[in-house]
Amino acid sequence: MPVDSYRFLDFASRQIMKAWAGRQEPGTVPFTPFPKPLRECTVALVSTAGVARNDDRPFDQEGERRNPWWGDPSFREIPLGTTEKDVRLYHLHVDPRFGEADLDVVLPMRRLAELAEEGSVGRPAATHYSIMGYLLEPKELIETTVPAIAERLRDEGVDAAALVPA
Amino acid sequence: MPTVSLSMIPDLTRAVGVPRLAGIGYPMGRPLGRPGDADGQRAVLRAVLGLFETATGPDAYLELPFEWPESPAQARNASQGLPPPPIVERLRRKPWLLAALYRGEIPRDAN
Repeated sequence: MPVDSYRFLDFASRQIMKAWAGRQEPGTVPFTPFPKPLRECTVALVSTAGVARNDDRPFDQEGERRNPWWGDPSFREIPLGTTEKDVRLYHLHVDPRFGEADLDVVLPMRRLAELAEEGSVGRPAATHYSIMGYLLEPKELIETTVPAIAERLRDEGVDAAALVPA
Repeated sequence: MPTVSLSMIPDLTRAVGVPRLAGIGYPMGRPLGRPGDADGQRAVLRAVLGLFETATGPDAYLELPFEWPESPAQARNASQGLPPPPIVERLRRKPWLLAALYRGEIPRDAN
């Protein structure tokens, strides 16, 4: 069965997302070729679930409550080995309970490690990342957050990154 | 940095444009599957990462064959008991602002 993008959305969200999809201007999509077999690659995960470790700064939910058109555009590092016991999910638009019950639901670091153990992936990166995906205005995300994450990925020898929505 | 993206709303993600996209018919909040379903989560991740080796150019799109085991109503019921997001509370007080959002504008009203 084909994927229905709007099946699980409420009516208002469905209408808004359809309107946004219909208005997007087609542009040039960047494409970085894949350098070597996956079984030799270091792979990192980036989640938009607003995951932050309990010993790290939470995403700013109070700021969004004061101004609902704003979302916290910063990012958090999530070291490999972090589990649901060590984090909270700070995303006010997504039910955090699933990812807080099992972090692999939104940031599948254990599943990635298993794919490395079986040999289909080279190795999981030492550090993975999370942003909080409710950002109506993406300027700071694009100009500041994404370059900072990309720089860290390169510094840590990551070959490829998988982006996981929430 | 080569990237692959998973999306539960691939229609919108494709409209924006990404290098490699895997679309999945799962509800928000559970992109990899249900809590505790390690086999299901691993199958999704394996399929997503597989796109690295099969995609040959930008806008590569793969629909994943996985089906969510609940109806939309059941999936929504599983998420009951949460306060609505701040934007929903604001739109309940000022429903006319919804028109701006449809147009892709951010209302930026003060309160």
